[in-house]
Amino acid sequence: MKQNLIAEQRVMEEVKKAIAEGIDIDPGRIKPESSLMKDLGAESLDFLDINYRLEQTFGIKMARRTVIDHIEELFGEESAIDSDGKLTGKAVDVLAMRYDGYGDKIHAGMDMDELPVLVTVSSLAEGVESLLDTLPEKCSCGAQEWKLEDETRIVCGACSEPASFTSGDELIEEWLKQVQEDKKIF
Amino acid sequence: MHILQGIDMVQVSKLEKMLLASPGLASEIFTEKEREYCFAMARPYVHLAGRFAAKEACLKALGLGLSGEGIDSALQDIEVVAGISGKPDLLVKGRVEKAGGRRKVCQYTVSISHSGDFAVASVVLVAGENCE
Ligand SMILES: [Zn+2]
Repeated sequence: MKQNLIAEQRVMEEVKKAIAEGIDIDPGRIKPESSLMKDLGAESLDFLDINYRLEQTFGIKMARRTVIDHIEELFGEESAIDSDGKLTGKAVDVLAMRYDGYGDKIHAGMDMDELPVLVTVSSLAEGVESLLDTLPEKCSCGAQEWKLEDETRIVCGACSEPASFTSGDELIEEWLKQVQEDKKIF
Repeated sequence: MHILQGIDMVQVSKLEKMLLASPGLASEIFTEKEREYCFAMARPYVHLAGRFAAKEACLKALGLGLSGEGIDSALQDIEVVAGISGKPDLLVKGRVEKAGGRRKVCQYTVSISHSGDFAVASVVLVAGENCE
């Protein structure tokens, strides 16, 4: 369900904080549309650091596998990357949907390592929000009284257990299945 | 037969700072054997940095690279092991092994070096129909 304990603005603040601490830059430089790699100079170590910080902050589990991996598992080998290691046209269609607004930067035949450029401050914040929005209606103890702890952690008001959100990998899989049902890409 | 190559450089102090702030991250990046080996050394972060560079270089050689979204478990599919005479070897499994198979890789080699605050790794993969 769409959670309303943590405001969008709060998520954005935490994302900016994780980036500022992860890359060690002035938070004032971080704009929602900034590309972490292109504009803020993030390297692969920084991406791991930032994602891990966000997991700890919100008690969520981000994806351990890429969208590309999930496409190939669901729709077969070479459905996302051809034998030369380039993105297929079908994978490009899916990615363009995922990175709404960046469609013109994604093209068939591009290398996988050009993908991190697409990760922006707001795409990261949206990713966090979509995980938080998988908050179940009720806790496994049956209670329906979520509350906020330490400003960013949703816990059960009855048993104090942390909320269990859908994982990033499960969410990508669900999304891909939905895309396939709607658009029949593969 | 052809060659695929990848290279990566890592700042030791940056990795150290990151892992000291987020100790749990080490088990997301390094295999249990790698952690055991490196943390038994006098300067663990130098060795961890070299291993991280090797993993990244291997992903680059395979044209994979990290996506930036989430915490890619492909890093765990590549293990650096100290071979006989101390020369490191790469062991691959899971999705990385599969990606290598698709590109017909028959040999994985790695070389790691450190100097000052930097660790660098170069990975060369031999690939082709009839290579052994
Ligand atoms: Zn409960």
